[in-house]
Amino acid sequence: MQLRLGIGAILAAIFLVTYATPNWVSTPSNVRNIVLSPLFWPYILGGLTGLIGLGLALSGWRSDPGEPVNDPIPDPGAGAARLVGFAALMAVTFWVMPYLGMVWTSMLAFLALAFLVKTRHPAAAVICAVAVPLILYAFFAHVASVAIPQGELVRLP
Amino acid sequence: MSLYDSVMAGLALVGNLEAFLSLAIGIVIGVVGGAIPGISATMAVALALPFTFPMAPINGILLLLGVYKGGIFGGSIPAILIKTPGTPASSATILDGHPMAERGEAGRALGMALWASCTADFVSNLALIFFAGFLASFALSFGPPEFFALILFSLTIIAGVSGESLLRGALSALLGLLLATIGLDLVYGTNRFTFGDPNLMGGLNFIAVLIGLFAIPEVINMVWHPTGHVGKVQKLGSKWVTFAEYKRCFRSIIRGSFIGVFLGSIPGIGAAPAAFLSYSEARRKSPNKANFGKGEIEGVAASEAGNNGVAGATLIPLLALGVPGDVITAIIIGAFMVHGLQPGPMMFVLNVDIIYGLFIGLILSSGILFIVGGLAIRGFRPVADIPKRILMPMVLVLCIYGVFAVNNNIFDVGVMFAMGWVGFVMGRYHIPPAPFLIAFILGPLLEDNFRQSMLMSGGSPDILLRGPITWFFWTLTVISIVAITRGTLRAGRAGG
Repeated sequence: MQLRLGIGAILAAIFLVTYATPNWVSTPSNVRNIVLSPLFWPYILGGLTGLIGLGLALSGWRSDPGEPVNDPIPDPGAGAARLVGFAALMAVTFWVMPYLGMVWTSMLAFLALAFLVKTRHPAAAVICAVAVPLILYAFFAHVASVAIPQGELVRLP
Repeated sequence: MSLYDSVMAGLALVGNLEAFLSLAIGIVIGVVGGAIPGISATMAVALALPFTFPMAPINGILLLLGVYKGGIFGGSIPAILIKTPGTPASSATILDGHPMAERGEAGRALGMALWASCTADFVSNLALIFFAGFLASFALSFGPPEFFALILFSLTIIAGVSGESLLRGALSALLGLLLATIGLDLVYGTNRFTFGDPNLMGGLNFIAVLIGLFAIPEVINMVWHPTGHVGKVQKLGSKWVTFAEYKRCFRSIIRGSFIGVFLGSIPGIGAAPAAFLSYSEARRKSPNKANFGKGEIEGVAASEAGNNGVAGATLIPLLALGVPGDVITAIIIGAFMVHGLQPGPMMFVLNVDIIYGLFIGLILSSGILFIVGGLAIRGFRPVADIPKRILMPMVLVLCIYGVFAVNNNIFDVGVMFAMGWVGFVMGRYHIPPAPFLIAFILGPLLEDNFRQSMLMSGGSPDILLRGPITWFFWTLTVISIVAITRGTLRAGRAGG
């Protein structure tokens, strides 16, 4: 794990120094001293990441016996499928929120997540899925005066 | 006016039910606000501000100070119970508070958080009263090179929160520093990793990153292994903190209180770095250092002492110089002005009754916080008993509302989701998130002060060693690095 992490950090550092920083950081042409340039800090961080990556790779290569391992789960395939499902749920929540509104989107996200993790209390999940977003809406919109997105379909008072 | 006359004049202002109630209501609002992730002490103070306009000046300011102090403590409640810090200042409390909650000792952790908070708050108030002038004048002599040296030293605390591997902690910190560079350049205003998106020009929202890194990975872990928690107790527990435990942690609490006082009196540092520094120092000095990060009660005590130690001290530059120490005191300064008061040296001459009234009110606030906090812990008790597969969807929804509410921006919700996956992957690779967070907070300050120093000196690095304050912090940094290196080498040899 440590070796993989180290190699990953070295590759990230190379990408940062050779591509990301030169292309995605703009700097005024009249900066004469590199220390004052907006590029300076990202380059320093890129270099340090490479060094740390090297350290990680070396210590991993020496096969550290105390290297931590993750607890195994009984159904890794199903777990991975759930993760993909949850990533999709997050993406849908993010994209749908401006159209459906935060309250309705949150209700659906609550329900979807509760059933994704196979809750043993489905009735309580449905009640909470409706109540929690509504209570939060009432608090944020009417007490804290936050303009909670209402969406384009059903608007709440 | 003699000291006695000043104290009596102050007492005449606050020695009534109205002032007492204002303070108590403020603390209640603060504790509740702090306990709701996304509200934060800052937002709670900002929300309470308009309600103080019709009040008498002393009552209005006491109410806001109550909200501030209550908010800082309140943040520890969700940090311990659901691993979601109510305020950024409570981030360090998660490290040991949540593992205690997982062991069924949430009540004990919350109890210690309360005791440490009240003690630190009391120490901070005393420091405000006795050292206001002296500390403020010291803080005023800080320029960019001094700040740079101080922040560089503060970054050494990363070693204290890196857990089992310093290298993985350092990698985490570098990732935090790197993400902190996103946004417009601090000096030239040019784009850095913004990809032309206006949402990224102000940098990543701190609350979105914080909640994404600490709370969302819990939800993702639950999705990965929904029955992983079965068998693990997650209750408030019948065990409460004992006086013997308080006594054992007393040194860390007092040390943390003074760290909070010192950092709080320097404008711009804030409570989160104080909490992490206090935690790191407690870990360094504790005989139980191996238990830190796994549910050590001394870690909770140190973190809470660090962040509450800031609460009174941030008023030192506010009252003595009229300079706000952080965002919250910047809001409170607005309340002073609305009431026709101008904080600063002249206030000690013209409105000495209000100054002493505030001092008396602040001393009272530690006691009220103890009572209100104790009730709040019991009030939030049901949170610990909610089934985890209902609680996690609740956390998700709460995080969505809380993160959105900070800037009224859905983009921040997306940042939170993305950071959640970053946090999950970091967890799978055993990369600790705390160094990331510390570096993310301190990164812009470090770079900003470094480049300002370079601008001042025309690019000469000599300015970074320009006086006794910088020498002091550089010496501390070198000592810390030597100690960390020796400790790491020793641990490596011991491990074979």
